[in-house]
Amino acid sequence: MSDKRRIGVYVCHCGGNISDYVDVEQVRDAVKDDQDVIISKNVMFACSDATQQEIIEDIEREKLDGLVVASCSPTLHLQTFKAVAQRANLNPYQYTQVNLREQCSWTHRNNMESATEKGIKLVRAGIARTRLTEPLTNIRIETKPRTLVIGAGVAGLRAALALADLGLAVFVVEKESEVGGWTKKWGKMFPNNRLGNDTIEYLLEQVKQRENITLFTDAELIEKGGNVGDFSIKIRVKEGETVSLDVGAIIVATGFDSYEPFDGEYGYGLNGVVTLPQFKEMVDKSNGSLNFNDHQVKNIAYIYCVGSRQPEDGEIENPNLYCSRYCCSAAVHTASCVADIDPNINQYHLYRDMRTYGKYEVMFENAGKKKSLFIRFDDESSPEVEVSNGALIVKVNDALDGGEEIEIGADLIVLVTGMVPRENESLTNVLKIPIGLDGFYNEIHPKLRPVETVVDGVFISGTSQGPKTLAESVTSSLSAVSKSAALLMKGYVDLEPFIAEVDTDKCVWCGECEKSCPYGAIEKVVCDTKEVATIIPALCKGGGVCIPDCPEDAIEIKGYTDQQIRSMIDALAKEVA
Amino acid sequence: MSKVNPDFVEKISGFTEFNAYACINCGSCTALCPMGIDLLPRRMFRHVMLGFEDKVLENTEEVFSCLLCKMCEENCPKEVPIVENIKSIRWYINRDIFKLGRG
Ligand SMILES: Cc1cc2nc3c(=O)[nH]c(=O)nc-3n(C[C@H](O)[C@H](O)[C@H](O)COP(=O)(O)OP(=O)(O)OC[C@H]3O[C@@H](n4cnc5c(N)ncnc54)[C@H](O)[C@@H]3O)c2cc1C
Ligand code: SF4
Ligand code: SF4
Ligand code: SF4
Ligand code: SF4
Repeated sequence: MSDKRRIGVYVCHCGGNISDYVDVEQVRDAVKDDQDVIISKNVMFACSDATQQEIIEDIEREKLDGLVVASCSPTLHLQTFKAVAQRANLNPYQYTQVNLREQCSWTHRNNMESATEKGIKLVRAGIARTRLTEPLTNIRIETKPRTLVIGAGVAGLRAALALADLGLAVFVVEKESEVGGWTKKWGKMFPNNRLGNDTIEYLLEQVKQRENITLFTDAELIEKGGNVGDFSIKIRVKEGETVSLDVGAIIVATGFDSYEPFDGEYGYGLNGVVTLPQFKEMVDKSNGSLNFNDHQVKNIAYIYCVGSRQPEDGEIENPNLYCSRYCCSAAVHTASCVADIDPNINQYHLYRDMRTYGKYEVMFENAGKKKSLFIRFDDESSPEVEVSNGALIVKVNDALDGGEEIEIGADLIVLVTGMVPRENESLTNVLKIPIGLDGFYNEIHPKLRPVETVVDGVFISGTSQGPKTLAESVTSSLSAVSKSAALLMKGYVDLEPFIAEVDTDKCVWCGECEKSCPYGAIEKVVCDTKEVATIIPALCKGGGVCIPDCPEDAIEIKGYTDQQIRSMIDALAKEVA
Repeated sequence: MSKVNPDFVEKISGFTEFNAYACINCGSCTALCPMGIDLLPRRMFRHVMLGFEDKVLENTEEVFSCLLCKMCEENCPKEVPIVENIKSIRWYINRDIFKLGRG
């Protein structure tokens, strides 16, 4: 790299988003005579087609070898301007984005002078970093056209079919001896009364017809190595055997668990107090009449939101703050099924809010038409379940009748239990995927990057991500399928080249870095008779934990070298003249 | 404390079947009533469905002050047959409480 660089700087107005609060002309002028700056310009919208073209022409005409765009967050437009550089035959890693909007104009709307000063410093830091950039190339990895699906509930089975139909081989790992998850247990399911078991039978039948799907039951994923596009995995299958496979992507579909009330929670433990899954099984199995303890059931009280939307008042440790989504709908639907079995059963629904959202509203109406009665209670006054003269009663303040305290005698009290994350610690450890505040697997962004996790190539789907209905579980699993397929059908993935690099002159192979690397990306090699550390590019994530552990200061991350960071700090610290 | 009595509504249903199960408690009926009857129809119907006989009888006067004008019914989003229901309640009170009619 020659010492002299030729850098172009573009300071964006963002149509006022930046220029209303930062004097962008002053920023442009402040840096125009900085070392190596050849062009310093203002632009109205840097991301507009015309400006992109203008930048390309400038790069080509002025033979620029570094580019700085001071505009919005790199999350929004880093890729845009990297592509601009690429189109002008400038290495995209010699581009630096300076965030003048989210980190400057939007945050300092009341003081233009200071905001402008900060803007100048940020741009100077960007220029300083750019001055020390080197051309870098992406690391290209050939992908394996195979996917691992973990969990064979409705989400996992549906994903497997879709992948197979796209021409990708699929391995499905189910830890139980039978597939189907919770859905297999259910009879009539909303919204169309199709039997849960039928849905699973159908999916399994379809799976069996596809040669490129291999199903392992009683099996578990025990090891995962490699990286996006090329994972090497180990599965424990029946009889204690293991199978090793290479797959390009992994879809997690490990589902949910049903909330288990604690002893005494709304009378749980008393004869006749059941959870929604227990009740649903009773209803599904009932034939002509609904019986409990050999008696015909006459009165049923439902208590909603058990285990969901729990208060944060400190009484419950780690309360589940979320709504479980499915339960209002499942409860009113089950109540309709009960009315179909015996219309004379009286059903009382003690609810906080009726969240039969979207099309499921109709089920709420139908339950009403079939004489279910809905009694709303306030968060502060939960129903109480008691036994009085050997019979179950529930007391509640009817918020729709001025808080009147009422007492309902019931043969059955159904606790409408929510969904909770499934216990899956060993799998979570193998996959190293993050868990959200609510305990379910976390997607990167619910709107912009659903089903993706921070581990490239590992996707989450169905209720493993959070409470969902069957239809929603399938939708999310198909979304994970399209993400996996988009990745694998291209044949390769390009990884960013921001990985560690060892200076073999400085390295004395003490082995400290090897110990610190969580990805096993460092190994010893002999280089000119000297033992030194070397980095395995496909494994290194560029996390940099090895760097401070090296006593010889021999490791750097490409694209984020110590020298670059120092030069940026210097630029930020320097007074604006 | 009021005890829910599922059998009460049967008593009311002698005239025509009492039916307010579609009610979503929106309160439009109460708001629109020209007589400004606070309990009718929404809360009164609730008392019937939950079987609070004493509450219904405590408010006999309200039941009979209704004009049967149908302002409420015309505007009920759930098409609850409000006036028929009120007539049912009257029928029950006349028969069972006032002991009117021909038995
Ligand atoms: C009482 C009740 C009634 C419901 N009624 C309806 C309804 O009427 N309509 C509707 O749309 N939805 C209904 N639902 C919701 C529906 O059951 C779920 O949306 C659906 O089951 C989610 O499917 P899933 O594949 O995500 O998870 P699951 O059904 O939980 O399947 C997950 C699978 O992964 C396996 N697994 C877990 N961990 C591992 C591991 N480490 N390795 C390998 N395999 C693993 C499990 O054994 C299981 O087979 C109801 C739910 C309940 C509780
Ligand atoms: S869906 Fe209904 S019962 Fe379930 S948590 Fe949400 S509000 Fe409560
Ligand atoms: S810690 Fe530094 S000196 Fe030691 S082996 Fe690693 S790179 Fe070489
Ligand atoms: S207007 Fe109809 S739905 Fe609304 S409260 Fe009155 S009876 Fe119920
Ligand atoms: S019919 Fe009766 S309750 Fe309804 S608006 Fe008229 S007076 Fe009021």
